[in-house]
Amino acid sequence: MLTRRTALGAGLALPALRIARAQSAQVVVGTWGGDYGDLLSANIDKPLLAPRGVEVVQDVGPQDPRKTKLIAERQSRRGSMDVCCLSDVDMFTLAQQGVFEPIDPARVPNLGKAIPSLKRPYSVPHIYSAKVILYNPAKVTAPPQGYADLWDPKYRGRVGLVDILHLQNMEAASIAAGGDEHNYEPGKKKLMELRSLDAKVYPSNEALAAALKSEEIWLTIMWLARGFMWKKSGIPVEAAVPSEGATSICFEMAVPKNARNRDGALAYLNAALDARAQTAFADRMGYAPTVTDAQLPPELARQISLTPEQQAKLRTPDYEYIAKNQSALIDFWNKEFKR
Amino acid sequence: MGTLGLDSLSRRYGGTVAVERVDLEVAEGELVALLGPSGCGKTTTLRMVAGFVPPSSGTVRIGGRDVTRLPPHARDTGMVFQSYALFPHMSVGRNVAFGLEMRGIGKAERETRVREALRLVRLEGLEDRLPRQLSGGQQQRVALARALVVNPAVFLLDEPLSNLDAKLRAEVRAEIRGLQQRLGLTTLFVTHDQEEALTMADRLVVMERGRVRQVGTAEAIYARPADLFVAGFIGRINVLRGRLEGPGRFLAEGPTGPAATLPCPAATPPARPVLTIRPERIGIRPGAESGIPARLVQTAYLGPRTEYHFDLGTPGSGPVPLLAIRDTPGPAEPLHRLRTGDAAGLHWEAEDALLLPDDPA
Amino acid sequence: MAALVLPATLLVLGLLVAPMAILFRISLDRYSPTELVQEALTGENYLRAIADPYYREVLGTTLGIALLCTLLALLIAFPAAWWLARLEGRRRSLAVILTLFPLLVGNVVRAAGWMALLGRDGAINAALRGLGLIREPLGLLYTPGAVVAGIVAVVAPYMILTLATVIEAIPRNLEEAAANLGASPAAAFRRVVLPMALPGIAAGCVLVFILCMNAYATPVLLGGPQFKMMAPAVFDQFVRGTNWPFGAALAFILLLVTLALTLAGSAALSRRTAPR
Repeated sequence: MLTRRTALGAGLALPALRIARAQSAQVVVGTWGGDYGDLLSANIDKPLLAPRGVEVVQDVGPQDPRKTKLIAERQSRRGSMDVCCLSDVDMFTLAQQGVFEPIDPARVPNLGKAIPSLKRPYSVPHIYSAKVILYNPAKVTAPPQGYADLWDPKYRGRVGLVDILHLQNMEAASIAAGGDEHNYEPGKKKLMELRSLDAKVYPSNEALAAALKSEEIWLTIMWLARGFMWKKSGIPVEAAVPSEGATSICFEMAVPKNARNRDGALAYLNAALDARAQTAFADRMGYAPTVTDAQLPPELARQISLTPEQQAKLRTPDYEYIAKNQSALIDFWNKEFKR
Repeated sequence: MGTLGLDSLSRRYGGTVAVERVDLEVAEGELVALLGPSGCGKTTTLRMVAGFVPPSSGTVRIGGRDVTRLPPHARDTGMVFQSYALFPHMSVGRNVAFGLEMRGIGKAERETRVREALRLVRLEGLEDRLPRQLSGGQQQRVALARALVVNPAVFLLDEPLSNLDAKLRAEVRAEIRGLQQRLGLTTLFVTHDQEEALTMADRLVVMERGRVRQVGTAEAIYARPADLFVAGFIGRINVLRGRLEGPGRFLAEGPTGPAATLPCPAATPPARPVLTIRPERIGIRPGAESGIPARLVQTAYLGPRTEYHFDLGTPGSGPVPLLAIRDTPGPAEPLHRLRTGDAAGLHWEAEDALLLPDDPA
Repeated sequence: MAALVLPATLLVLGLLVAPMAILFRISLDRYSPTELVQEALTGENYLRAIADPYYREVLGTTLGIALLCTLLALLIAFPAAWWLARLEGRRRSLAVILTLFPLLVGNVVRAAGWMALLGRDGAINAALRGLGLIREPLGLLYTPGAVVAGIVAVVAPYMILTLATVIEAIPRNLEEAAANLGASPAAAFRRVVLPMALPGIAAGCVLVFILCMNAYATPVLLGGPQFKMMAPAVFDQFVRGTNWPFGAALAFILLLVTLALTLAGSAALSRRTAPR
C-alpha cells in the first residue's frame, strides 16, 4: 500500500496492463478496499446489479494512487475505470481537469431524492458525514463548544491531528481564527500557535486512534462517522459538533469521460443512491445516507446525523479555493507546521 | 632454532581418530618428513604443531617449552603452505616483511632482512611484484622467504612441492634441503611423495590411519621396514606367502600348492611370516642350471634399468609372481639374451630377504 | 546475436528508460493548479528545490540517515557475514535462509512489527513498565532512531549476503598464514581479511546506500509525519500536492545525489583497494 511502486506504477503503468475486460456488461469500479468495498459489493453489486446482468469488478486501492491514475489516463481514449469513488475535494480537483462526464439527472433517477446541497454537476454523492471535535469525556470535562477550544492552554500536548487531514485541519484552524472556509490564511498563524502548544501529528487514522485509546491525547478533529466507529470499538471519545458549524465530507462517485461502459456506470450510480443500499453504510461505517428516503433506526440516526439546527449551519468546503491552493497549502503544512 | 617434541599427541573428531598418540622428537637442525597416504594424519599433526588444530590430548613442545595451549601467532613456527597462501593484495616485499612487522621490527632492519631473505631464495629485485605476477616456482620461493625471514624456532612445510611440475620439483627440493642445512633449520615436512621424503629428510615418520608405523632414517626404513605397510609404501618390494620349512628356508606357496624353497635369514622368525625381498636384490642367471627356477613372463625396459617379471610357480602351485630389477644389460651380457618364456635361475643373499609378520587378513 | 539481444534491449528501454525519460520531461514542465501539468521547458522546479531550505534539510536528513544506516549495517553485517562465510553444508544453507527470511516480508509489514515493538503500548514499553523501570511510556516510535533501526533491519540482509560472498572467496589459509607469521586475530583481520574484503564492502555499501536513500515505507511509518526523507517528499508532491513537475524534479535530484555519492564512494574505495 505504501510503496513507491504503487505511486509510480499508478501513474506510469501502461493502461493495457490494467484490469483486462471482456464484455461491455462489466463495470470497473475504482474504490477503497476494506469495509467500503465489501459494503459496495454486498449492497449494490450483488442485490441490485447482478440480477440485471451487470457484472461489477472492483479495482481496489487507496485514494491517492487512484487519483494519480485518473490524471495519468486523462489523455487516453479508453480508461481503466467506469466508476471512480473519491472524496469531495479530490473529486472537484479532477473534475476541473475535465476528467469526468457531466451527470445527466435523467439517466440517474434516484438523484432526485438526494440532499440538494450535496449534489454536484460532475458526480453523485454516496455517503457523507461532518467534521467534528472528538474528545475524551473523562479528561475533557466540559465538552468543547467550538474549534477554538482546542487552543486552550490546559490541553497543551493533548491535541492530536492526523497528517492526512491536513486540509481539513487547516480549514478548522481558519474557522477557529474567526475566518471561514474560503480562505485558510488566518488558519496558518493559528496552526503555528497550536504547534507551540505541542500539538501532535499522527501519520494515519490508526495511529491517531491508538493515541486516543492510550489517552496520550484527548482531543482531535475527525469525521463524525469515524468517531462513531471508534466509540463503538471502545475508544473513549465523544463527538462535539463545533458551534461555528461543522464542515461536510462527502464521498462521491463519478464516471470518467473515457469509461468504456458508460451505461453500466450510470446504472451503478443509480443503484448506489438506492435507499436499500444506503442504510448499510450507516451501521457499518457511521456515514449518513445522501438520499432523503433512506430510513435509519432512530438511535443510530441520533449518533451519526446532525440535528436540523446543526444541519442548517453545515459548511461545504470551498473546493475551488482548495484546488487552486492545494500545492501551496501542503507546502505550508509540511514545511512550517510539521517541522 | 629449537627442538620440536610431540608427546602422545592425539586428535579425534567425534568418534573418528585423525591422529592417535604420536610421539616424536625433532632435534635442532634436523629435517623430519611425515610421510603417508592421504588421510593418514600427517597434515593434522603438522597443523597441531602450528596451532591451527587443537589437540584432543597430548603435548606440543617447541624449544622445550609446552606450547600446546598457545594460539598460532604466539608459537614461533614458520610455515610454508601447500598453496603458498601468499597475501594477494600485498607485494612480494610486503609479504615477506609481514612477519617482521608483526614482531615490531623497525623499517630499516625489516628492509635489510627482506632483501637478504629474497636473495637467499634468488628473488632479489622482485620486491614490488604482486604474487599473481610470479610463476608457481617463484611464488613458492616467496612463501619460503616469508617463513624463513622471521627465524622461526620450527620450520613447517606442508606438501610444498605438490603444486610444481616434475622438473621444477627436483630443483626446488634440492634448494629447500640446501637452505635447511645451511641455516640449520629444525624442520617438519609433510609429504605423500616417498621420493621427496627419501631425498630430503634426515629421518622419516611413516604414518597410516593416524598412527606412526615407523620412524627412522631413509636407509633404515628402506632396508628394514618394520611391517608390510611400510615395506610396501616405501619403494617396491616382493611379498611372498608360504611357510618356513626350516631355519633359513622359506617354502613359497602358490594359489593351489607349494612352489619353491627360498633362502631367508635364519634368525627367529615372527609368527605367520611372509618373505619380502627388494627387486634390486635379486640376481638372474639365464638358463636354469642353478638357483631358484623361474620363468620370465614379461620385461619392462626403463632405460638405465629393466624390470623382469618372473613366475616361480610349478604346474601344481599356480602362478607365484616375482619382480627383479637389474641394470639394463649390455649386448655382450648373457642377460641381454633372456627372452619372455625362457627359464632362469634366481638367487639372493639370505640376509637380503626379510621375514615380516603377515598383515591380519 | 544482435537479433537475440534485441527483445531484451527493447524491454529494458520500454520498462526502464522510457519511464525515466518521461519523468525527466515532466520535471521540466510547469505546475498549474488548474491544468496540473503545463507543458514548458524550464529548470525552475530544480532551482526551487535547491533554493528551498526545507528541501535542502530533507535531502540532508536523507543523506544523514542513509550514511548512518549504511555504516551501522556494515558494522552489524560484517561479523555475521564472516561467520556465515565460514559455515559449511546444511548449516550454511540454513543460515542463508534465515538471513533471507526477513526479505520475504514486505517493508510495510516489517515496519508494522517495529510499530508493535516501539509504540507507547508496544512490547518494549510494556516490558519496561512491567519491570517498574519507567512510569510513563517512552516515546520510541516516530523518532529518527526508530527510522534508523527500521531501515538497518531492512538492509542488513543485503549487506550480509554481499559481504559473505566476498569473504567466502578469501582463502581461509591466508588468515592462518597471517597468524603463523605472528599476527593476532585482530591484526590478521585488519591487515588481510579487511583489505581483501574491501571490494565487497564497497559493493555492499553502494547497494545499501541506494536502498537507504530511497527508503519510503520505513520513514513514513516509523518516522511519523514530522520526519521527512526524500522518497516520501516525492510521493507527497505527486499524490497529495498533485505537483508532478516539482515531484519529478525532486526525484531527479535524489537520483543525481545518490548517483554522485555512489560513484565518489566507489572511486575512493577502489583507490584504497589498489595493492600496496
